[in-house]
Amino acid sequence: MIYGLILNILLWFGFYLIISLSLNMEYGYGGIPNFGKALSVLVGAIVAGGVVTRILIYIYHIKIGIGGFSTATSAVSNEVTTLIAHNPLLGLALFLLTLILAIIIGCIAGAIFILPSARLKEDYLAITLLAIAETFTMICYYNQSIIGGYYGVSVPDFLAFIHTNRGVVFTGIVLLIALITFIFFERLMNTPYGRLLRAMRENEDVIRVYGRDLMKVRVMTMAVGSGIAAIVGVLLSYYTLRVQANSFMITGRTLWTFYPFLIILLGGASNNKGTAVGTIIFVTVMEVIDFYKTNIVSFLHLPVEAVWLEYILFGIMMLLILYYKPEGILPEKPIITPAIKKAYETKKVSKKGVREEY
Amino acid sequence: MKDPILETRNLIKFFGDVLVLDGVNIKVGRKTITLIIGPNGSGKSTLINVITGFYPATSGQVIFEGQDITKKRPYQIYDLGIVRTFQTPQPLKKLTVLENLLIARKHVGENVISALNYKKWSEFEDELVERAFKILEFLRIDHLWDEESYKLSGGQLKLLEVGRALMTEPKLIIMDEPIAGVAPALAHEILKRIVELKNKGITFLIVEHRLDIALRYVDYIYAMASGKVIAEGSEEEVINNPQVVEVYIGGG
Repeated sequence: MIYGLILNILLWFGFYLIISLSLNMEYGYGGIPNFGKALSVLVGAIVAGGVVTRILIYIYHIKIGIGGFSTATSAVSNEVTTLIAHNPLLGLALFLLTLILAIIIGCIAGAIFILPSARLKEDYLAITLLAIAETFTMICYYNQSIIGGYYGVSVPDFLAFIHTNRGVVFTGIVLLIALITFIFFERLMNTPYGRLLRAMRENEDVIRVYGRDLMKVRVMTMAVGSGIAAIVGVLLSYYTLRVQANSFMITGRTLWTFYPFLIILLGGASNNKGTAVGTIIFVTVMEVIDFYKTNIVSFLHLPVEAVWLEYILFGIMMLLILYYKPEGILPEKPIITPAIKKAYETKKVSKKGVREEY
Repeated sequence: MKDPILETRNLIKFFGDVLVLDGVNIKVGRKTITLIIGPNGSGKSTLINVITGFYPATSGQVIFEGQDITKKRPYQIYDLGIVRTFQTPQPLKKLTVLENLLIARKHVGENVISALNYKKWSEFEDELVERAFKILEFLRIDHLWDEESYKLSGGQLKLLEVGRALMTEPKLIIMDEPIAGVAPALAHEILKRIVELKNKGITFLIVEHRLDIALRYVDYIYAMASGKVIAEGSEEEVINNPQVVEVYIGGG
């Protein structure tokens, strides 16, 4: 029982670490309020459920019959899963292909996603990104030709060759990808690029005076952030082996936009380690509530289901953080490039917090 | 004036129906300090914003080194060697003083792809850090290098603005009220530094209110009122001009 809880915490830690790190780059460092974060996850899911499945249908000559695309994916998924059961390499190739495709398409989608709004100031930008993401999700829900709409599509199990402990192996893969993502962002942010992002967040006018094309920086940043976030969409699809547009409607907005923002604010914006700390705390609380929900209901004599408790608690948590500790658990630190590291080692470091008058 | 580095030709700017710049013609001589004075609302800051591309001009031209830059965007104007400071200092608050200076220069490591290749930009970063420390020493705020810039006092922030402008090795620095709200002793310090930099070959265009301090350091003065240049020339010519006396003292 408790073993399952721990495994679940680790798995969702992996999912949330990847998406929160990418949002941390966009929002924590760059100040781009990406309220349409869930869209990038949807793009990843579309690649797994709508693009790769089509490629497979083409390769294995599956006929799209009266049941439409949705039914055809079930057929092709069954066939490919059977093949993978005897051929692990095929499974891994399928997984890697999907990942790479998702990153590429995610980058392109992210860049296009911000184009209409790249010239707007922060508040309008947030609303526009939310609106574009919602519109696109609606289109995917009502148009069955993309990922089967309400009915959804099936994806093959790339781990079909593993017969026992599939969950453990899958969690291991997710954690490995999360670790690589963490290293990637730590390296990418401790560069002049990370510094430029922080400067852009602090004051856009200054950046324009000093010769930077804001639009270019925003487009570049959203491309990377969305490309990485699309990985989560792929992982989720292979976790549930289903892709359904309605899982990106109301719950998707909460899971993949609101929660990552909460994690960043909790852990400390513009700090990757803070994001990791925020993720582990958040995911543990979320999973423990989910695990003990029946006990909580009977113990507290709640008139509602305990899952709703989660939303209430997280809402309160966000308000408390914003009010009492807006800088989060681990506050922001300067960008450390090799040259700046040397300066900290050789120059006299002033006493922190001492304000010296000229 | 021979060989002006910057020139505006009949610059007109409307905000809706309000005429803010009414045919402004100014010339800024190379390697000089040019001062623009004028009461509140005379259009000084708007003039700067139009020159640096923050506001589009309604009509007229801005010429920099013989090139028409009227339609250029702020980041393109930077590439020509013009940099400006703001009326209220605009520090990047959460960034340290050193980082505030480093951001002034375009950097090879600012692209996602090149950023990951540390070798490509490390050398340039070393040079920048060295240069930044030299500038901080010149401005005598090097002891504050690792402080977050929101902790600085008003005067120190003004110096930080100047330092950031110097990082770019500019040809022309346009300053909007560099000594407003600064104690007299520090104001003189800042202007002395500006004169030193002028002697090193940088041109300055300065908007300032505090004539008592600013006048003695500058080479040429324009007085503006209601969007027009009403007087120009040396210190004596301008402050003895009856029209200038009129707008400053208020028609007594």
